[in-house]
Amino acid sequence: MRKKLLIKNRHCLVKAIHAILLLFFVTSMHAKSDTTSRKMYGFESSNFIIQQLTISGKIIDENGMPLPGANIIEKGTTNGVVSDYSGDFSISVSSSTSVIVISYLGYKNTEIEAGKHSGVIQLELDAATLDEIVLIGYGSSKRKDVTGAVSSIADGDMNQGAITNPLQLISGKASGVVVTQTGNEPGATPSVRIRGISSLIGGNDPLVVVDGIQGNLDLLNQIPPSEIASMDILKDASATAVYGSRGAAGVIIVSTKKNKAGSSSLEYVVSSSLDFIPKKLDMLDANQWWTEAQRVGVPASANHGSNTDWYDILTNSGSTQTHALSFGGGTDKFNYRGSISAILQDGVVINSNNQKYIGRIIATQKALDDRLTLTYNLNSGIVENTGTVQSIGRASFTSNLITNAYMMRPTDPVFDVDGSYFNDPNVFQYLNPYAVAQTVVNEAQEDNLFGSLKADLDVYKGLSVGWFGSWRKTNYTNGFFLPVESTSANAIDQNGFANINNSSQNEKLMNISLSYKKVFGDHNINALALYEWQNQTYQGNFAQTRGFINDITTYNALQLGDLSSVRPGDITSYKNDRTLISFLGRVNYSFKDRYLLTVSMRRDGASVFGVNHKWGNFPSASVAWQIDQEPFMRNQKVFNELKIRGGYGVTGNQQGLYPQNSLSLVGGSGVTYFGGQQITNFNVIQNANADLRWETKKQTNIGLDFALLKGRLRGTIDAYTATTDNLLFDYTVPQPPFPYSTIKANVGSIVNEGLEVSLGYDVISREDMTLTLAGNAAFLRNEVLKLSGSINGVPLNTNYVPWGPNSYLIEGQPIGTFNILHHTGKDNSNSETVQDVNGDGVIDQGNQSPDRLLQGSALPTYTYAFNPTFQYKNFDVSMLWRGSGGNKIYNGLRSSLSYLENIGRSNVLESAVNLGIETSQYGSDLWLEKGDFLRLENLTAGYTLNFNDIKFLDTMRISITGNNLLLITDYTGIDPELNFSGGNGFGGDNGIYPRTRSIVIGLDVKLK
Amino acid sequence: MKMKRKNIVLIGCLSILLMAACTNVDEVVYDRYPAEDFYGTPEGADIALASVYAEIPGEFVRNNASGVGYAGADNGWYDMNCMASDEQVIPHRNTGDWQQDFARLHKHEWLPTDFIINNTWNWLYKSIFNANLAVSLLEDSRADEAKIAEARVLRAFFYYLLIDDFGDVPFYTENTITVDQIPQASRKEVFDFIVKELTENVELLSGTKGGNFYGRFNKWAGYMLLAKVYLNAEVYTGEAKWAECLEACLKVSEGGFNLHPAITDANLPLGNTYYELFGDVLPDDETILAIYATLDVLSRNIYTNRSLAGSHAQALFGYSGWNGTIVPKDFYLKYDDNDIRKQQYLVGEQPGGVNYTLDVQSIDSPGAAPQAGVRNIKFYPVTPRTGGGASNDFPIYRYADALLMMAECHVRLGNSAAAKPFVDAIRERAGLAALTTNPTLEDIYNERGFELNWEGHRRQDMIRFGTFLEPNEFRGASSDYRKIFPIPTSALDANPGLQQNPGYEN
Repeated sequence: MRKKLLIKNRHCLVKAIHAILLLFFVTSMHAKSDTTSRKMYGFESSNFIIQQLTISGKIIDENGMPLPGANIIEKGTTNGVVSDYSGDFSISVSSSTSVIVISYLGYKNTEIEAGKHSGVIQLELDAATLDEIVLIGYGSSKRKDVTGAVSSIADGDMNQGAITNPLQLISGKASGVVVTQTGNEPGATPSVRIRGISSLIGGNDPLVVVDGIQGNLDLLNQIPPSEIASMDILKDASATAVYGSRGAAGVIIVSTKKNKAGSSSLEYVVSSSLDFIPKKLDMLDANQWWTEAQRVGVPASANHGSNTDWYDILTNSGSTQTHALSFGGGTDKFNYRGSISAILQDGVVINSNNQKYIGRIIATQKALDDRLTLTYNLNSGIVENTGTVQSIGRASFTSNLITNAYMMRPTDPVFDVDGSYFNDPNVFQYLNPYAVAQTVVNEAQEDNLFGSLKADLDVYKGLSVGWFGSWRKTNYTNGFFLPVESTSANAIDQNGFANINNSSQNEKLMNISLSYKKVFGDHNINALALYEWQNQTYQGNFAQTRGFINDITTYNALQLGDLSSVRPGDITSYKNDRTLISFLGRVNYSFKDRYLLTVSMRRDGASVFGVNHKWGNFPSASVAWQIDQEPFMRNQKVFNELKIRGGYGVTGNQQGLYPQNSLSLVGGSGVTYFGGQQITNFNVIQNANADLRWETKKQTNIGLDFALLKGRLRGTIDAYTATTDNLLFDYTVPQPPFPYSTIKANVGSIVNEGLEVSLGYDVISREDMTLTLAGNAAFLRNEVLKLSGSINGVPLNTNYVPWGPNSYLIEGQPIGTFNILHHTGKDNSNSETVQDVNGDGVIDQGNQSPDRLLQGSALPTYTYAFNPTFQYKNFDVSMLWRGSGGNKIYNGLRSSLSYLENIGRSNVLESAVNLGIETSQYGSDLWLEKGDFLRLENLTAGYTLNFNDIKFLDTMRISITGNNLLLITDYTGIDPELNFSGGNGFGGDNGIYPRTRSIVIGLDVKLK
Repeated sequence: MKMKRKNIVLIGCLSILLMAACTNVDEVVYDRYPAEDFYGTPEGADIALASVYAEIPGEFVRNNASGVGYAGADNGWYDMNCMASDEQVIPHRNTGDWQQDFARLHKHEWLPTDFIINNTWNWLYKSIFNANLAVSLLEDSRADEAKIAEARVLRAFFYYLLIDDFGDVPFYTENTITVDQIPQASRKEVFDFIVKELTENVELLSGTKGGNFYGRFNKWAGYMLLAKVYLNAEVYTGEAKWAECLEACLKVSEGGFNLHPAITDANLPLGNTYYELFGDVLPDDETILAIYATLDVLSRNIYTNRSLAGSHAQALFGYSGWNGTIVPKDFYLKYDDNDIRKQQYLVGEQPGGVNYTLDVQSIDSPGAAPQAGVRNIKFYPVTPRTGGGASNDFPIYRYADALLMMAECHVRLGNSAAAKPFVDAIRERAGLAALTTNPTLEDIYNERGFELNWEGHRRQDMIRFGTFLEPNEFRGASSDYRKIFPIPTSALDANPGLQQNPGYEN
């Protein structure tokens, strides 16, 4: 069975390659007969010219740099040439009144009368955003022709500074696209949510497409931020439906920088930052602690007489450095760009750092008389990480390592008198976090490699065929060693332990497409048909031993452990995969450039679903009306651009669903004692559901794009509603008869509705000075419509599902709604009291307790950003303010650090003394806080130097950036930007790695 | 031009052909077994039987379920039953240690939302699912009748635990049916099922003691279970079955059990061979049914380390204790000073600078002082042992229990003279004098407490002897409905067809 499938898949690839070869053959045949008529420019045409005037000159860009590859055409003819690598050109025209048109992508077309030509022609940058090229998935479109909700952020508009992950480039830049950075642990990646949370099982991460290569969010972390030319975000379903099987949560399309044809470049970009911790919690110092401890009767034996600032000794100032060297060159038939980047982070918590190195090369070759374009892309990355322990602590409190520093009594010494790390046996599972930080070995390495080949062939008059193949491999290894001297109870019990965790991802994708472009009269058609096959295989293994006689080998020689103490679970491995097959058809049609229609249909099959439910259909349609192009608008002066868009589409989610859930399977489950010996135990591993099917999201979007006042005021407004049906989730089933309490099924539904506004206004728009105020805001309403229903006649009663600390999934409420006991005060013994809402004398702490009150959601209801930029000659400065609000946070860390009865074993917050709560049996709304914040996320000033006269040097830019310079919030924790990913556990604060404030100096040098 | 059109048609056909061949999205499983294939063999049926036993040892977490198993770890069946009795409790400490659900159990204030109750319910029904699976697979594969009988007896065991704790419970024996087909059967109906299953199957079980059958239901363990069911018949159904209980106990005796000798031996940690009954590999002479445990491989036994204070365990064993379970002083003070069974209790000064006090001021709010309360080391840790527990096996049934059951039946049947030798045998092994008069029910009740403390029998005994609701030092008299635990809230939420037990309805 397994073998068969592999062979079949191989057949797919082989056939595809055969098909491509055949196509080459076919096209090369009629390419021969077609050569002369297809020549658009060139010297052949000079044969027909009788009267000649030759003009020559040089094309330069806005900086005075030569522009190679610009098109120079004699207007109204097919006579044209291309500027050479130094921007020079020479063209013969029919007369001195002939007009030559110079065009270059990204620049305004320039027309000059041949007789008035003076030699050097400087092209002007085309600032009108509505003319930019937008990537819409399996193709591109002019911004003005786009019918869906798409945000585009080009290179020049991105955030600057010591960027470690591409998402940081677009944070705050697009409405409805929320990039969240929780803490600044080296190597930690931000999360991103597009138009809220529409799935519960996972699959809220958008699809990432990098130069055609598809991947999960981790793909984004594998490309160098400095090599990104643009990021296009497909937000509504009419746009994402072309990625039907993976598009439900939105799509981020990344286009990397390519070399301009015919030119060569060499650029070095470096930044260096110094990172600080802007805020820490105010804990009692040694004297305050002892005063309070005595008051509640803590014995003197608990005071070990030191004065230790635990947080201070575990932290220092960090640094981030980024380096990127890029270079490229080429002719009109061939060009390439290569780059090598390094991102080096040293964290603010001791012994945490991350190094990322990425090398990439992208090359384009034209052949068959320019009818075949081959694009080859190879990207290789290495990440080395030394991390702090993510989850550790005493039995009563588990968090990341640094948060454990807050728990420490300030009177505890770091070291015992004998020089070993201090440990107190009278505190249950005491943990000395400094000992852990210094003795743990926690090293990770990731190697990733991805490559792609794209072949596009013009077959015949607007018909082209394409083949694309990509292969991506990621190998991850983590080595961990926790010795006895770390003081961790777990390590002591095991006499120290070490493990190695290997995992790998192997993702293959292949597609074949046919596209056809045709203009007849006022009709413009662009059609696409595509077949796509992809397979993602996940594999891994884990090995662990314990009881090492010394610490020398750490995790590097597991065989040196005590092999007699092997436990079940010490050796494990796994392998699973998913296969996706898709058929896509799309037609873009426009009439008179004013009425635009896009229709697409995608049919997807996914292996992860039940045997009879693997296929889903994902249609979409959208229309747009370019009102400004109408004849009746011709005489008005208000609008430069005015476009109304509307669309509807269906997308599917399967990526959040782990493979194998539809099957009834047996797996290992420790050992059992039977027949006088320990034998491997087997168990049915899940409640299988053979009816698992696609989760579908139906989205309707209405949008308006406009530009006023000669384009100085630009804006986009979108309103949408998206309903997720057949919601994949772990629904509650009764025990009995089910062996487990939940089953994965498609039952419920969720709705997200929102409004998004982006505005930009050029306050000053002069040749040498510009001031632009840009901003965006998004409003989101989320509601869980339904969680209950039935599968196969079995009624499911799923509601009030715990989704975080005191937050729930409740029908009729947003995801992560707090349903929480209400704090009323404290009783005589200083125990916390809460409201007995139904007055029955019992505080019911059940999920559906009548004593709980609905008190808002963990999900922000609005996000906004304000982004002013100013430029004067070569000096520029920009700012990014970003905020969100309408959400609540359950500050669990504050509660853990506030009960005075804990003072004998833990430190408490300064604020706990006034609060005076000895103990509590409840998690009440006393710890529920507003999550609103506004952050000055980025402030950058830069100066660009042009060296027209210096040999070798082209331009140089120096910049200084401040990150997270100001945070305005009422939240009392370290930072309100927490886990907003929408997955289980969100809405709570159990301590985070510090969010840093940093000052960055950047330098960008372009050489000639 | 014609030729070009032909080419286009060719390409089109080719593409369609290609696509038709590449539409296979079958799921391939590499690292697990398909259930049908796996269980559809005789070996699979055997493994299914073994996997029912896998549910019995206690563990913190197994298959993502916490508080699973009969005994050995925490937050499950053992804690729910033992802490509700007078023999042990984990007090909330005034240093903030230990949550209050253990104290709620002891004060008879437990809530339907308490997760210990939920854990117990889920564990029992997961076990019944496994047992149903084993029964049907063994029957389908026409396995040896002894094996089928063993699976049926195991299922009866779990149903017995269910009605003992929860009263009227959902009852099903086929895994293929849906929830609406599962009635909430009365305690009596399930009782009748259990009796029928046991009387039909126990005799088919193997008579082998130890070896292959260590930790398994052999014939003697089966009769012991039947005796237990009859012993509590009056509680379950209103109709006593003392004679039947006695008869079943006599069947147990046919297995040739004795009381394990109690010989003073200073080299043993508790000074007497009696405590071998609670060590590693429990002796076959007295043990009828045991749970096998090897720390971190298969189950664990946390009960001593959970009791001892941090630095005390540190001084004794080199790892820190949990400072949890205490023995209420009323229970401890009943012991005779000469009783070898009193050696398992610790009070006063101990190594590690610890001094346990007899008195405990509070078990919930504001809580007990760190060193308050008598501690227990009955399950003196055997290796491998760490702060996470030890490897002591756990006695579900042993012969001393059977003797006391026989004594009880005799007294209840009006023949207290016949009961005396049984009680005396237990007392004399413990280093005490024989009774001077024929035993009363109270003598037997107390003796059961002395002998079988911390072995999971006390709540059931207290209910049968009518002492369960009596006030103690931490609470007043409790209400009759507390003799049954509530059906957990989450089970009611998932299945609105279930009726909550009386007294717990909102």
